[in-house]
Amino acid sequence: MKKIFYYAALLMAVGVGSSCNKTDNYAAPSSTITGSTVDEGTGQTVQTEIGGGGTRVKLLETSYSANPVPIYFQSKQDGTFNNTKVFPATYKVSVEGPFVPLVQTDNTGTVVSDSSQTIVLKDQATLKFKVQPFLRVEWVGKPVVNADKSVTVQVKVTRGTSNPAYQLDVTNINLYVSNTQYDGQNNYDPRYSTLTSYSGSNGTALLGQTITITTTGGALPLQDVYFRVGARINAGLNQYNYSTPVSVTF
Amino acid sequence: MKKFKYIILFVCLAAGITACRKLNIPPKNIIQDPDVFGSTGGVQAYMARLYSELPIEDFRYSPDMGLNFFWIIKPTPATTGEALSRDQGGSSSENFGDWHWDVWGGNYTTIHDCDYFIQTLPAYAKNYTQAQVNAWLGEAYFVRAMTYFALVKRFGGVPIVNKVLNYTPGSDVTDLKVPRASEKAVWDQVASDLDFAINNLPEVNADYGDGSRANKYVAAAFKSRAMLYAGSVAKYNKITLFDNDHNQLCGMPESEAAGYFQKAYDAAKMLDGKYSLYLSAWSPTDKNAQYQNFVNLFSDPASKENIFVREYQYPNSVHGYDAYNVPRQLMGPNGYSSEVNPTLDFVEKFDGLPKNPDGTLKTLDASGHYQLFSNTMDIFANAEPRLRATVILPGDVFKGQNIEIRRGIYTGSAAGGISPLLPAGSKSQYPTANLVVSSTAGQTAYKLPNGDLMNPAGLSGVFTGDQTCAISGFSVRKWLNPNLATSQVLENNETQTWIEMRYAEVLLNRAEAAAELMSLGQTGSINTADPFTIVNQIRSRAGADLLTGAGDATIDVVRNERRKELAFENKTYWDLRRWRIFDKEQNGTIYRILMPFYSADAGKYFFDQRTDERNDVYTYDTRWYYEQIPGGAISKSSNLIQNPGY
Repeated sequence: MKKIFYYAALLMAVGVGSSCNKTDNYAAPSSTITGSTVDEGTGQTVQTEIGGGGTRVKLLETSYSANPVPIYFQSKQDGTFNNTKVFPATYKVSVEGPFVPLVQTDNTGTVVSDSSQTIVLKDQATLKFKVQPFLRVEWVGKPVVNADKSVTVQVKVTRGTSNPAYQLDVTNINLYVSNTQYDGQNNYDPRYSTLTSYSGSNGTALLGQTITITTTGGALPLQDVYFRVGARINAGLNQYNYSTPVSVTF
Repeated sequence: MKKFKYIILFVCLAAGITACRKLNIPPKNIIQDPDVFGSTGGVQAYMARLYSELPIEDFRYSPDMGLNFFWIIKPTPATTGEALSRDQGGSSSENFGDWHWDVWGGNYTTIHDCDYFIQTLPAYAKNYTQAQVNAWLGEAYFVRAMTYFALVKRFGGVPIVNKVLNYTPGSDVTDLKVPRASEKAVWDQVASDLDFAINNLPEVNADYGDGSRANKYVAAAFKSRAMLYAGSVAKYNKITLFDNDHNQLCGMPESEAAGYFQKAYDAAKMLDGKYSLYLSAWSPTDKNAQYQNFVNLFSDPASKENIFVREYQYPNSVHGYDAYNVPRQLMGPNGYSSEVNPTLDFVEKFDGLPKNPDGTLKTLDASGHYQLFSNTMDIFANAEPRLRATVILPGDVFKGQNIEIRRGIYTGSAAGGISPLLPAGSKSQYPTANLVVSSTAGQTAYKLPNGDLMNPAGLSGVFTGDQTCAISGFSVRKWLNPNLATSQVLENNETQTWIEMRYAEVLLNRAEAAAELMSLGQTGSINTADPFTIVNQIRSRAGADLLTGAGDATIDVVRNERRKELAFENKTYWDLRRWRIFDKEQNGTIYRILMPFYSADAGKYFFDQRTDERNDVYTYDTRWYYEQIPGGAISKSSNLIQNPGY
């Protein structure tokens, strides 16, 4: 009788010990997707902004479901992206941002072109997406510090696509001033930045010309300052195309 | 002994046999359908729940916290440019989830409650007259329409669930994962539910005829609002999203616009002669009477302008509008005040102000020096009465007090005129030289040249270190109760009625729909004089300048009139969304304010207009025209496709 009791107790002890022992036996994701979004005209990466208003990478895990819920991760400001915590699987990958969409639909929702790339991810995959940015913003010369310690820059804005659906009017050309290189419409100093909205075709008329913009608000603080010019057309989610950030040290 | 045991066993078993029989008696502690649907009292209780769930943006709404939340410190007007608030630092989408509003689960609970009522009531119809049954069904359809409207204006196409979904134990739940319908299908659902309500509701609600429950015309009024929204989306929206079956979840073909505008126009026209603009205290010649009339409009229960209202009752259902919004000097015991401070951009929309050629307020004389005034109200001497009834201007009277708003005392010389404190357009801080200011309401008086003492800031601000004051130079007037004792200006203590739908909006819906139809060349079944006549009707009541020619009543004029008339009623937020101009108005925007100063040397006041001293930038994200579907809803129902950009 006592023996049975001990066996039973032992059995229960084993049960207690093992029942809570179920660890998550799925290894943490460790595969990497890396790559860049490149302007097919110039070969340069497409500048964007950090945060939700910039380029992002869209993953559709097609090996899990024919209609998976998409997974997104954000691109870096310079147009490259890197995610080291992805599960190995088959993905349909595309990028979304201020450029002609890789997946184009007509006005009834039919997909007319799809430049997504499908990858079977094991350890690492490097992807390069060639896109047509809505606008290209390029510096003309270097920023000039004026006598009153304001700064004047010159840029040239041109179209990055000849797609007839995206020949829309330029609505904004803005000079953003910030004390970090992460300069853009979601991070700038409103005291010195010069924002200009254009109505009708006034902005479009500036395409291809050298545009001169000076900071507002008088003297800039005597510290490292970063400048970046953003321009946009009223397409899609209204995102900006940017120049590279440049700095001036007083 | 053994005998006893058997007897006990027998008794227990016998008791067990009979006990099981009683299990088919309905539980007495759970309210059953016959209890609810079997009596007018039960139906009344059900209705009370439906109406309390009805999603309208009232005193207890803010984009940050959603519906039915008591603590409104990021008020809606501070997201639209109508006002600034110390707690709102920029553009905002609505916040859902966590301790914010459960927009998805909440609204689908309401839709479920409507569906259940619609399915169940007919079985109990024999207890009531046909008129009662029709009216109650009409109300359930009305509430359901309003709920779909609340969803579609936020998300575009959403699942249409017009019958109660039941989970069968053991089944997989694929049939419960209803996918999103097209945006057009949802707008059409709103229209058809409201049509049912219009056809089945009586002219006056038989249970409550005071406008707190729906009648035929309430449904028609909301149909005009909803269809105008749908028409605007069809015309102005640029964001599209399709599912794999070609259903357009976001956006509608532009060709649909005219049809919706026509529906809005026709629905608004149904109210002709049934309601009227409130004119009880109005006089065509007396500006003060026009002001008082516009003030009374928001508190007179007998107003024929009220179409649909939400009533409050202490202590069951209360709000704290006055507590959050009274000027600083009338602060109640809870310590809140001045959450809504109208911007100069908003004030400049009104008539009767001295203006520069570019439409801004004229505060400088011809030589570029500040104009001087003996009293801060002098610059507003000829202001449109509606402005005074909407905004407390610096120096105006409220609750018998002079509402004193002053940024500081200028101690420099006034000889030869005072030059602007900062260059035009500067976003810098005011210089400290020649300026005495106060950082809090505990002030140290300044001795004026004539020996009098004067506090640097007014009693209602502006305090530089503490923003519990009129940070824009103005304070809100609309909805404030002038008869509420300061000791009663408390959170969760007020019962002022919210007017969700008033006749002025219906008229403006009709004017806008007509103007839109005219711009689309669809003038066949409208009166093309409507925009002009209606804008002038509204302006005449407001004491504003009238339009002179029918050609003046453009879409922009009608919109602008709407923004002035319905300001601070939580309507502009939705108007800016449906016109798709939020991102254009809030595009790196810093709103403007008006700061009154007292010149010690001149003994007079002057005004400085500048951008918000906090440099708070408003940039509306285009994605927000279609809000993000809460992640929790997609986890539960993976058929839901997220809106673009999230």
